[in-house]
Amino acid sequence: MPQPRPKSGFADGLLAALPIAMGYFPIAFSFGVAATRAGLSAPEAFMLSLIMYAGAAQFLALALISAGAPLLVTAFTLVAMNLRHVMYGPALMKRAGAQASARHAWAWAFGLTDEVFGTALGALARGDVVYSERFMFGLTLAAYAAWLGGTAAGALAGGGALEAYPAISAGLGFMLPALFLALLLSILSRAQVPVVAIAAAVTVAGTLWMSPTSGILGGMVAGALAGVVGQRRQA
Amino acid sequence: MSPDLLTMALIVGVFTWAFRFLPTRLDLSRLHPDGHLVRFLAATGPAAIATLVVASVWPMVSAALVDMVPLAAGVVSVVGVFRWRRSVVAATLAGSLAYGVTFALA
Repeated sequence: MPQPRPKSGFADGLLAALPIAMGYFPIAFSFGVAATRAGLSAPEAFMLSLIMYAGAAQFLALALISAGAPLLVTAFTLVAMNLRHVMYGPALMKRAGAQASARHAWAWAFGLTDEVFGTALGALARGDVVYSERFMFGLTLAAYAAWLGGTAAGALAGGGALEAYPAISAGLGFMLPALFLALLLSILSRAQVPVVAIAAAVTVAGTLWMSPTSGILGGMVAGALAGVVGQRRQA
Repeated sequence: MSPDLLTMALIVGVFTWAFRFLPTRLDLSRLHPDGHLVRFLAATGPAAIATLVVASVWPMVSAALVDMVPLAAGVVSVVGVFRWRRSVVAATLAGSLAYGVTFALA
């Protein structure tokens, strides 16, 4: 009888976070630079990363603050944008298995960002790791540290840090899409192609006709629903 | 430190934490393995990541063909290096590098 594989540990989580950390640091650096360019102090830029810890929402926050949007409007626009995260916990725990513990999730789930979720899901789907809360702590902490470190470095470098290096700035700007695309490739299977196609199409339509946030939320729901319908037809 | 900025960050931070944490407490073991919710959740991962790919690439899409060259180089590099090395890190770095170099040359 085959022995069950041992659960992955904290160090495995740190290792799995390496691509995220390499992607996060430059992106957070860009955020720190953009925040100081928008008139925030370095401690304020760091505080946003420390408390909000949501890259896309943080960049949008800068745009809304610069446009003079009221506090509550800004806050609840960003809350709505982060609503997509409600899907990550159940999807991850489903992949982790029925016996998976979420006892300390109140602590590690704060770090369940888009990229951490994608990486964890991809690693579990490929069988590279066996779920454990220690693994999740390693994964989330390393990514969080890279995000905070990058923000601090960018904020201290100041608003004009990348102006003299447009190609580097452009390359860093593509880091996030590249990471998402690589994560998608790592979990893609033939059966999921319709899910991906419908999610992508609805995201484009929602972005064009409503707003980017509506596109993101609509794309996720439509893609997931397509998975339900497609699997039912195959059954 | 601006009190308004801190208040805004705290509101967003608390909601974001709740969105990320509370759904992990859903008891999925009682759900039927072929049930609608289980199927929905299983498809959520690929759908979410596909959505994020599109949402992050969309602002880079332009009507001017020449502006699309760095994007095309970046995407081709990510796909090519991932197929070659099966590594998310290598593919991400290669895509970023290709985008930056092509941007400089374009």
